[in-house]
Amino acid sequence: MNYPMKLNRASRAGCVSALALISFACLMTLSCPAASAADDVSATAEMSRPEVNAGEMAELQVRVSGAEVADVPREVSVDGLQIRLTGESTQVQMVNFKVSSSVVYSYVVMPLRAGKFTIPSIPVRTTAGIVRTSPVAFAVIDGSVANAVTAPPQPQPQMPQPGMPGFSQPQPTPQDARADAGRLAFGEISCSKKTIYAGEMVPVEMRFYFDAHYPVKVGGRVDFGSEGIVVERFPDPKESRVDRDGVTYNVLTFHTLLSAIQPGPVDIAPAKLDSQIQMPGALPPGFDDPVFQQVLGGQSPFTESRDVTVKTAPLHLDVLPLPKEGRPESFAGAVGQFELGAAVTNPKPAPGDPVDLTIKISGKGNFNAMGAPVLMETDGWRTYPPSDKFEGSDEMSNSGVKTFDFTLIAQEPKKTSPSAEFSYFDPVLAKYQVLEAKPQPLSAAPGNLPAADTISSTNSIPTPTPTPTAPAVIHPSGSYREGDPLALLTLNTWKPLLGRPEFLVANIAMLVAIAAFAGILRYYYIQKEGGTVSSRRRRRSNELISLLKSDTLDAAATYDTALEYAALIPGEREDVISLIESLEARRDILKYGSGRSVALSREEKGELMKSLKKLSSNSSL
Amino acid sequence: MMITRISLLLLLLLTAFTRTAPAVTPEEVTSANNDFESGRFIDAIASYQAMLDSTQLAKVSSPELWYNLGLAEEKSGDLPAATLSFRRALVLNPTLTPARNALAAALGTLGVPAVASSGGWREQIPARLHPKFMIVGGSIVGWLGLFLLVFAVMGKTRRTPLIGLALAIAVLGYGFAIEGGMIDPRRLAADEAVVTARNAPALHVTPADSAATSGTLAPGSLITILSRNGMWWYVTDGFGQTGWIFSTTVTPLLPNSAGS
Repeated sequence: MNYPMKLNRASRAGCVSALALISFACLMTLSCPAASAADDVSATAEMSRPEVNAGEMAELQVRVSGAEVADVPREVSVDGLQIRLTGESTQVQMVNFKVSSSVVYSYVVMPLRAGKFTIPSIPVRTTAGIVRTSPVAFAVIDGSVANAVTAPPQPQPQMPQPGMPGFSQPQPTPQDARADAGRLAFGEISCSKKTIYAGEMVPVEMRFYFDAHYPVKVGGRVDFGSEGIVVERFPDPKESRVDRDGVTYNVLTFHTLLSAIQPGPVDIAPAKLDSQIQMPGALPPGFDDPVFQQVLGGQSPFTESRDVTVKTAPLHLDVLPLPKEGRPESFAGAVGQFELGAAVTNPKPAPGDPVDLTIKISGKGNFNAMGAPVLMETDGWRTYPPSDKFEGSDEMSNSGVKTFDFTLIAQEPKKTSPSAEFSYFDPVLAKYQVLEAKPQPLSAAPGNLPAADTISSTNSIPTPTPTPTAPAVIHPSGSYREGDPLALLTLNTWKPLLGRPEFLVANIAMLVAIAAFAGILRYYYIQKEGGTVSSRRRRRSNELISLLKSDTLDAAATYDTALEYAALIPGEREDVISLIESLEARRDILKYGSGRSVALSREEKGELMKSLKKLSSNSSL
Repeated sequence: MMITRISLLLLLLLTAFTRTAPAVTPEEVTSANNDFESGRFIDAIASYQAMLDSTQLAKVSSPELWYNLGLAEEKSGDLPAATLSFRRALVLNPTLTPARNALAAALGTLGVPAVASSGGWREQIPARLHPKFMIVGGSIVGWLGLFLLVFAVMGKTRRTPLIGLALAIAVLGYGFAIEGGMIDPRRLAADEAVVTARNAPALHVTPADSAATSGTLAPGSLITILSRNGMWWYVTDGFGQTGWIFSTTVTPLLPNSAGS
């Protein structure tokens, strides 16, 4: 046992009222010297509860009277218990002008195991010396928070009453109240009935209590259900605060509906809710200085998160089968209390047009499993299965109105609509009830066409529109008769044509064919024009060379031919240009001189051919 | 000469898209039809189903066999299954008028609108003109337009009116082919299913049994699958109703052998 903390009376800095009281007490002490002389220093220890369940915590208070400054141990060592100092408070009392003050040191006691314990006397060091508390007995009962005892709901002034009809509010027994007292968290479950009929919707309320002293984080959803039981969805829970035996609890209240599928006894496992409770934690080394303690107001700012699964008690139900006796033919599974109303929205339709008969079932019960009303006396009417729509009047859809829209087509002149029958089982009266919608007045007549083979509609209500039957095809093997099986088979693939490889191949082949067609056309037109430019140039150059070699030309014509040959050379090369200029000059001399009818000399012709050959070797000619 | 070769090639391609060779023996079909006409509808259903499940009909199928199966199912009282078979026959051959008439009659009995208001044109056009011919015919016209375009562009003297005409023919032909592909029931059927449960299954707001319901689907209804979440499918019925439905209450329009 160590004594790391030196605490004084004015430790709770934020508490103005306490300081005022202390000041007043000091003043009174100064004015009444006899009072201070009479103060004796004493220390007592007291548990908030003599026993707790395993997993729950308790509070140990050490009250030091008559001392302004005291040292108490930060931890108290007891095998099986963890006892830590969490804070202190000061109390000042004045009785008959005699002022007494005391400092209360609070410890949180966390059991580590079940058993009976004795918390030893705790030494308290004061200015007057060391005083000791008396040993305190304490017991931890085997069990856990998760197996919390379930108590029936206890009405409290602060707690909102359950907003669900049919809930009984039994008073808690003293044992229940004592079991709940001081508990960290626990759950309760209420069901308005213990014996129900199969298919009957029963409201269930679950309440989860959390000690308001500790912050709580609730995660996930309520785990509740069992085989053979249908549990409707949970709306958002309601939050409230309630006091039980001096302990304030935050309460989460869940409402839902359940129904049983099969008759027989049903045991539903406890509803569970996962939560995290923030518990006061120990001060780490370095934070145990008294200055820190004063700044922090004697409260530990460090907390420990503790995962707690809060459970209610299990729920037992006896499920009765729906009686076979007296079951109407129109019964389609509805269980509850209902009323019925009917109306025709278009009492005077055009001949052949449909009549819309709306039947509304209102009340409380299993609307989800409810079948449609049965139309009676439908001779002369063509009827279709109705569409339905449900509008709940409470958040759990236990009560509301379900609307069935029937589409009817008169096959003969009609003055009234068919009647409708709806039956249900009333679990309160324990017998079947039959409701009847009387025929509604209207004026309907059939259309000109006798049969309706094609139906079109603009909304979800089927609205038949008679159309003439399409002519039957002539079967290849003979005349086809409507409704006869076909004998000649054809085969088709399930794959869409656009996704089939042969379609892709055909398109690629066609693109290739188009490209080939373009090439053929181009070739045709080129051939038609005598070939390409280069081929024509090459052909002409060969002709000119042959002509130059033939010795049939005179000198001027030889140079004209050489000039034409040089002009065929593509590009604008300098050597070609200079050659052409020299050839032109020589040609002019010969043409306008004496060379017109004279053959070119062999040497000059050889030089000319050599020049032309040199040019042609450097070109594509 | 060239035109003749091209025509021959087109003819070969066209015949490649239509197969008429029977995959099931005529005796089997006759035997099943005899069962049907004798009132042994259960036997007829078994025979038709066996033929449709045969390996010969693994990749291809017969619209007439599906129609016959639908007739037998209708006679045996299973109207939702009959609507599925008739719809499958129409997927394979949208112009099969007996199947269309039988489907309309079955849906009328079930009280189900035959045509969704939003998708009527998809039903109307294939009933009159097979999308296969739209696709093939449109493609051929498009090809001819391209040939003409090449001819007009490559000619010695380019004639603008001829180029415009060729372009118009090509666009018209390919547009027709694309529209045929869009309305091809086999393409649309990949995401469609038919409610084959005898009782109208509920549409749930969320994929859970305990979830609130937003309506019901009539047996025989055609639904479009928008997404899948395990055994729960998010569907719409074409009339504005959407919700989650348990997949065992519906059957995909394309059979498993179609590789859907």
